[in-house]
Amino acid sequence: MPAIADPPARQARKQRTRELLIAAGMRLFAQRGIAAVRMGDIARAARVAHGTVFLHFRTRDELLAVIIKQYAGAAALRIRELVEEKADLRHVLAAHLRGLAEMEPFYTRLIMEGPSLSPVARTALLGIQSAVATHLAAAVDRGVRDGSLRTLPREMLFNTWLGLVNHYVTNRDLFAPRKSVLTELGPKLMTYFLSLLKP
Amino acid sequence: MNTKCISCGMPMTKAADHAAGDLAKKYCAHCATPDGSLKSRDEVLQGMSMFLAHSQGLDPSAAEAAAREMMSHMPAWK
Repeated sequence: MPAIADPPARQARKQRTRELLIAAGMRLFAQRGIAAVRMGDIARAARVAHGTVFLHFRTRDELLAVIIKQYAGAAALRIRELVEEKADLRHVLAAHLRGLAEMEPFYTRLIMEGPSLSPVARTALLGIQSAVATHLAAAVDRGVRDGSLRTLPREMLFNTWLGLVNHYVTNRDLFAPRKSVLTELGPKLMTYFLSLLKP
Repeated sequence: MNTKCISCGMPMTKAADHAAGDLAKKYCAHCATPDGSLKSRDEVLQGMSMFLAHSQGLDPSAAEAAAREMMSHMPAWK
């Protein structure tokens, strides 16, 4: 017997529930830390029945991976579009910082708990980082060709930038208490990093 | 148009991203052979491992483990 598709109204409700769970998950992971949050907590925060959560996400880590891909993935896509439009490195770095700033509390937890994340979540982040690294390298390559930037090994370029950014994010309470450290200090980080790449 | 490659998850936003520039293909140009068919699992694994390793300087075995994990969730390789 062929499967009967959900009517549009039911599909819309399912999609809305999924979005509520993603938003609640991101909020709780940011507030309490990733390891401390359970699916029951997310269900309560989203005002969704506990069993309903598992109709959308088999495990908490699957939901975490979806959140990572949705938010960090969107930022990576914007960076890719900028690079394809031949934006200079400063604009690409700025887009990276904007994307991270939009999820700064959640991103803070991600990088602080990084090594203890489940493989599905950790590799979701790794995959997006590799995409960003590739786009950054393409922007730098253009700068090297026009003589405005010096060359660096591809992976060291990205790891140096990310190391700098993550140090400020991890210690945001020291660098910009009660503020978005990436918004407050992002321009300074970009200026410094770009100065390292001057020929 | 914004879909993801069923093999590696790369976002495909234009025809050139799709295998052989064909919007009907659900996998990307990087996961396709020169004739436009999908590469083998081992070829995709090798390509994805190298991508992870080279872009971030990951240890090759760590990059391969990450690539295997990613592929285990992809529609083409589940």
